[in-house]
Amino acid sequence: MRLMPPAHFKFLIKSLAVTAALLCSINGALAAETCSGGADWAGDLTPISKTGWNPARAAHLIERAGFGETPEGIAALSQRDPAQLVHDLVAPANVDNSQLTAFDESGIFDPSLDPFPATRPAATDLAKEKGEALGVKIKPAGNRRLQPVVDRFFYWLRASRLETQRLGNWWANRMLTTNRPLEEKMALFWHGHFANSEDKVRDYRKMLKQVQLFQSKGLGDFRDLLIGVAQDPAMLRYLDAGVNVKGAPNENFAREIMELFTMGPGNYTEPDIREGARAFTGWNFDGIKFVVNAERHDASEKSFLGQRGNFDGVQVIDIILKQPVTAEFVAQKIYRFFVRDDISPELRKKLGDVLRNNKYQIAPLLETIFLSRDFYAAASCGTHIKSPVELVVSTYKKLGLRILPGVPDFYETTTALGQILFWPPTVAGWAQGRSWMTPALLIERGNFARDVVFPDVGFVPHDRNPGRLFDILQVSEKLARGLDITSATMPDDKDKDTMAASTMNADRDEEFNTHYGSYRGWQMALERVKPLPRHTASLDLTKLVLSSKSPVKTPADVVDVLVDRMFAVPPSPATRERLAQFLEKEIGTKDIAAAQSYMEESLRSLLHVILSQPEYQLG
Amino acid sequence: MTHSPLFISRRRFLGAGASAVVLGAAGEGLSFGMMPSLARAAAETQKANDRILVVLELSGANDGLNTLVPYADDAYYKLRPHIGIPQKKLIKLDDHFGLSGGMKGFEQLFKDGKLAVVHGCGYDQPNFSHFTSMVYWQTAAPNSGQALGWVGRLADNMRPEGGANLIVNIDDSQSLAVNSSRHTPVVFNDPERFMRKGDAVTRPEFQHVEDSGTAQNASQKFLTGVAISARDASTQVREAWTGYKTPVDYGIIPLGLNKVAALIAANMPTRFYYTSYPHNAFDTHVHQGDTHARQLTYVSDAVAAFLRDMERIGRGDDVSVLIFSEFGRRAAENTSLGTDHGTANLMFVAGKSVKGGHFGTPSSLTALMPDGNLQYTVDFRRVYATMIEGWLQHKDSAAVLRDKFETFPIFT
Repeated sequence: MRLMPPAHFKFLIKSLAVTAALLCSINGALAAETCSGGADWAGDLTPISKTGWNPARAAHLIERAGFGETPEGIAALSQRDPAQLVHDLVAPANVDNSQLTAFDESGIFDPSLDPFPATRPAATDLAKEKGEALGVKIKPAGNRRLQPVVDRFFYWLRASRLETQRLGNWWANRMLTTNRPLEEKMALFWHGHFANSEDKVRDYRKMLKQVQLFQSKGLGDFRDLLIGVAQDPAMLRYLDAGVNVKGAPNENFAREIMELFTMGPGNYTEPDIREGARAFTGWNFDGIKFVVNAERHDASEKSFLGQRGNFDGVQVIDIILKQPVTAEFVAQKIYRFFVRDDISPELRKKLGDVLRNNKYQIAPLLETIFLSRDFYAAASCGTHIKSPVELVVSTYKKLGLRILPGVPDFYETTTALGQILFWPPTVAGWAQGRSWMTPALLIERGNFARDVVFPDVGFVPHDRNPGRLFDILQVSEKLARGLDITSATMPDDKDKDTMAASTMNADRDEEFNTHYGSYRGWQMALERVKPLPRHTASLDLTKLVLSSKSPVKTPADVVDVLVDRMFAVPPSPATRERLAQFLEKEIGTKDIAAAQSYMEESLRSLLHVILSQPEYQLG
Repeated sequence: MTHSPLFISRRRFLGAGASAVVLGAAGEGLSFGMMPSLARAAAETQKANDRILVVLELSGANDGLNTLVPYADDAYYKLRPHIGIPQKKLIKLDDHFGLSGGMKGFEQLFKDGKLAVVHGCGYDQPNFSHFTSMVYWQTAAPNSGQALGWVGRLADNMRPEGGANLIVNIDDSQSLAVNSSRHTPVVFNDPERFMRKGDAVTRPEFQHVEDSGTAQNASQKFLTGVAISARDASTQVREAWTGYKTPVDYGIIPLGLNKVAALIAANMPTRFYYTSYPHNAFDTHVHQGDTHARQLTYVSDAVAAFLRDMERIGRGDDVSVLIFSEFGRRAAENTSLGTDHGTANLMFVAGKSVKGGHFGTPSSLTALMPDGNLQYTVDFRRVYATMIEGWLQHKDSAAVLRDKFETFPIFT
């Protein structure tokens, strides 16, 4: 029966062996080995000292400022000067990252797809008006004259969607393999802050361009970043810039830039939103380029946040940045992402000052945060509920994987867990914190662990197989059986009297058939979008456990090794005891050496159970 | 109490869960065959205080004016020359109002007297942010702060002693509306995934959840509560879903109402179900016509199907549905064939026990607010109070809503 967490226990043993004198200062020694410092550290931005640097703090830092590390990685980080280490994290320009590869585009785009109509009806209306749309002419005669246009519309919808999923894989793999983890973590923050979704953007090229903006400028100057975002094609598309024109301003972007991106509600008025919208009129995109349509820009005087002038968008941004609340709002949001949810008004103000005094440079703010006593206070250590992307990437990272597995599929896993890269739920991004966790999502997190250690032998790649999507498989099968398009696309098993109006509407138009378009669109996308690699996690838990620095003789040792490797907040001694018993029963002995040759499967079951513990969700 | 059907049902669930571990899929199949008859038997003994409230949130601000169109009002077509829905495309309910063309389900409900429309719902000093206004509606606290949702507070107030599974929230993440101080809402989206994967060897390990007394911090304590709820509720939900078969067509997007039906059919002790049309779907700034009409069709299909389904399993008398959106849209169309954020809006209450018809006062289309918005005529919390007092027969709505609100005679 163990009465204290093993890390402390082992330390105690070591201390005893070295000198009894240490016993006198055991409380101090214990504190030095844990993440959390003094009780009064919360809210204190004083930098921690070099002497207080230890593996637990290094693990805490890299969990938050990156995606975790292996025990070897943490040991190396704990040997470094914390100030130097944090500096390399926040300003990584000199850290070699040449092993990363650029996103390998499938080549699904061609210029005739631009500008892409907002909806299918818009595409067919355009075709009726012009005789062609999306580079496809209307058939002069015959049935379903508009079908090729509709097919092409669905082709791009599907292809861009699948390509964006590949993009998510590429980014996650980058998080796993980068030497500049904070660059990616910060990009992830900005993706949730300036949240745009492929659902509305419908162009992977714009999503790629946006994430590259976050990666390249995310640790730099907030003004540059904000202007970059305001002129970013994905954002312009997402918040309807195209229809924000002189004489008819659209308020969507002007509202969100103040409410969500810079100031927060309550710090501006509705007239500010309307006037601000006028300043952004004429800003638009052409493909993946930012353009200003001078004729559609309203150059006349605006009254915005108490100032008057013939402002354009950049000037409005500068006025926003001059508001005292802006630095505080941005700083507290960054703090809550990296440190913890509750922030006192005093700390919020102090962090706002840091950002403002550094002229909106993000790196010095992060440097202050990551070196502060507050970051290593008990209220900060091990209190963060990992987001799904953090959970998945850090699990792989801690297990020592060097490439993102294709099975389980990253997109499907993170969909189930509630955070899909490039598909944030709304422009407000993800709510973070406790909102990541519900009973169902906790179960999904455990299931993810199982899918890693016991990959699904019946895995069907969703990027090749549409599954239940719009009955595409049924349509395909019926066409192959010789049914005509109308029959092949008729819904099955529906009694007309109880059939919902939406089901009956599905196949009414004779100019084209949307179900068929959906099928053809998928088929055409499949031909062009490159398949994702589908290797499983390359795991050798036997080797991983036995290569541990501490001796591994008993099932309890194995549990300790895995818990120490994976957890920020360990499960209770009682739980560990139970886990050790579980392993012992599985391998049929207390002697790990004797079980070496056959214990891999049992270790995987054990890891599944371990990673399903509620404590594993904390980082 | 120990002899109530709910108790038996709960025990049966737990028993079925245990047997599933041993017997696997075959065991599960056997136990579900009995469910419909059990549900009917239970239904016969339902009391008034077992009434169920289902809340359907339409996120993104549904355009009420193009949902139930005041076609007899010329001002409507003047405000919306391009996106105003022509009379011939409407489903006319009377000589003034017509539903968007695809809402056949709502038409039938209205004709059957099971659909109440409350006009002009809103609040003072309207906020035009989706997120802020949605928070106001979810907490029933406009221009104020509240950490708990109104459904959560209602649950706390009606059942201060707590208890399992009183609130179910069909969603990927928990809605603020169901945040409660005494109840842990059961939150799931896909019942088929609301199940631990694991072989016979690992499965028993998941039954152990640590005592939250050992928690080192508040987050850990919170997670322990979630873990207990996950352990206890997942089996019940999954079995209810697997055992549920219906001939009723819920349409393209069932909005979680089919899952609600499954849990009701399985006799869950849940009194509050909260589901949504998620992801700001109704935020129709641009080219709204087709998209909006399609979404309304889905809503109409799903709600009508749900009530038909309740009737089918003999629970029609026990269920009412409340439908709302965080605000309406600007009275006039914008230049992008869409509408911008607005204020007053419709709320709907549907169910067999509902006295159908029009309630409240429609906002004037000619006496608009200076910013071109509709002036609200009904504080939306009056409708909440109506659900609390009129439907759930809980007299102390003021304790939940922090104020006394006049109710509507929607339940007689």
